[in-house]
Amino acid sequence: MRPILLQGHERSLTQIKYNREGDLLFSVSKDHVVNAWFSHNGERLGTYEGHIGAVWTVDVNSTSTLLASGSADNTAKLWDVSNGKCIKSWEFNTAVRRVAFSEDDKNLLIITEPRMGFPATVQIFNVEGGLEGEHSNEPEMIVHPEGPKITVAAWGALNKYIVAGRENGSVALIDAKTGDVVSSNTVHEATLTDLQMSTDRTYFITSSKDKTAKLIETATLRELKSFSTDTPLNSAAIMPKHQEFVVIGGGQEAMDVTRTSARQGKFECRFWHKILEEEVGRVRGHFGPINTIAIHPDGRSFASGGEDGYVRVHHFDDDFFTFKFQI
Amino acid sequence: MPAPKNASWADEVEYEGEDQVETWTDANGITTTIEYRINEDGKKVKVTRRTQKKLIHDRVNKSVAARKKWAKFGKERGNKPGPDPATTTVGENIKLKLSSTGQVVQDVDEKHEEMKAQLQNKKIACRICKGDHFTSKCPYKDSLGMEDAAATNAAAAEAKAAAEPEPSSGTGSKYIAPHLRGGAGAGSGPSSGVGGSKMGDSAREKRDEQPTLRVTNLSEDVTEPDVYELFNRFGHISRVFLARDRETNVCKGFAFVSFTMREDAQRALEAVDGRGYDNLILHVEWAK
Repeated sequence: MRPILLQGHERSLTQIKYNREGDLLFSVSKDHVVNAWFSHNGERLGTYEGHIGAVWTVDVNSTSTLLASGSADNTAKLWDVSNGKCIKSWEFNTAVRRVAFSEDDKNLLIITEPRMGFPATVQIFNVEGGLEGEHSNEPEMIVHPEGPKITVAAWGALNKYIVAGRENGSVALIDAKTGDVVSSNTVHEATLTDLQMSTDRTYFITSSKDKTAKLIETATLRELKSFSTDTPLNSAAIMPKHQEFVVIGGGQEAMDVTRTSARQGKFECRFWHKILEEEVGRVRGHFGPINTIAIHPDGRSFASGGEDGYVRVHHFDDDFFTFKFQI
Repeated sequence: MPAPKNASWADEVEYEGEDQVETWTDANGITTTIEYRINEDGKKVKVTRRTQKKLIHDRVNKSVAARKKWAKFGKERGNKPGPDPATTTVGENIKLKLSSTGQVVQDVDEKHEEMKAQLQNKKIACRICKGDHFTSKCPYKDSLGMEDAAATNAAAAEAKAAAEPEPSSGTGSKYIAPHLRGGAGAGSGPSSGVGGSKMGDSAREKRDEQPTLRVTNLSEDVTEPDVYELFNRFGHISRVFLARDRETNVCKGFAFVSFTMREDAQRALEAVDGRGYDNLILHVEWAK
């Protein structure tokens, strides 16, 4: 396969995300800009400009009308996907680490980090207004969760719970109505770097700096599968179709990269068999650690964003789909 | 193209360069464009471009089709449709090799590391000048190498250096593939485990040293995975090359299969040579 290289950022990528149909790919990086791309040919649709700090996170709603982004400039912004206009900006005390639309597009989850005396917050905003409506400045719900810092979060099935991954390697279920921590389980030994839901949100995959990625059941937070590698992981994603694979990626810490060659840095996307926990293949190409991976919802392509500032979009060859794992 | 009359003399130079462009389309639907132009060094170069257009129909969601028509915005405002080469480029081809035995990748690496460790203490001696580099990298290769081939042969024998022994037949100047030389099985080490210093060179050297079979009389429908499957049962395969037609992309009828172990290759040769495959009789021999 020939990867398409997207050079829309000047600094390292922080998150990439496909929309529901997978025709658009959104990428954010530390260089303040949000980019939108057509995933099939890598053409850039446009940029969303307005942030004045590193953008940590991005999410798009299911109808691809609203785009949310969270940044280190202490704001989260809501954009019109079609024309790049900012329609709402929320101001916080600290940087925004994660934004996520609920399954029904009615709510927006925003996680802010603790800093300079301000506690971490989990906030839920009502975005039912959509493109035209007014959006309240006040959250519908705000909680200051106790315990270690939340690094990643996502909505559970039917928006009942929020799944949060924390700095100490634990995952927690937070009730989306009351904000109580319902249950918690320490599955990793080091900080969680990514958390992505399966299509039906009954299980999710986590990646961690402890060099493992794990599949975890949402309802019980029970560990289902574990994928152990030799390098700190930054991202993990589940293949929705065609093959029972997960894709995980990472690499040596950015700060140590200059001391190693690209080969030793292990900057590869690794394909693991989801059920048999066996590694099946690797895709190399990045010059730096892989920060974020996203898989096209139809499972025919995937994209990875790296510390090197590139997004690489890979469309699988035909033999990928005919491959059968032999036991 | 002659320069327009009213162009200034400065423009004339520009016009000289871009002249006749030939374009034709052949039976396979491949359009060939040949143009002659003058490059930065002032030399005339011929640029041949061969393109094949394929119209692919794809049914998409209505909303996806609507989004394709959106005007560009932000930094892309006003740009014409289609990928902009400034932001979108196509990378080099990457093969995602899927394997059912998760260990394959690591195993090879470990072997490599092992070899490296073994070679750490071994002294590398050039057969030509006795320096501590490989014969192929010898700076005197061209000046000394050819005329003194016989002499170096003798010298090598005397010194019984770590390098692989030369074939005993008197034809010192005749090239013999490394894996066919006497001690290839055991002595493939010295030059294959170069290590990380020059990845490109060492990789190529390694490849050249590997026992390679040439498989001929393959049918047109054969693909790399087929060949791989056919030979995989005999041992670990490091490389499969299937010759394909540039235009039609069908198999040209022969392939090269490199094994990691010479014994495996030998067994494969014996087993597959003369065997029927896809209603053709395969012919397998050592690649030369």
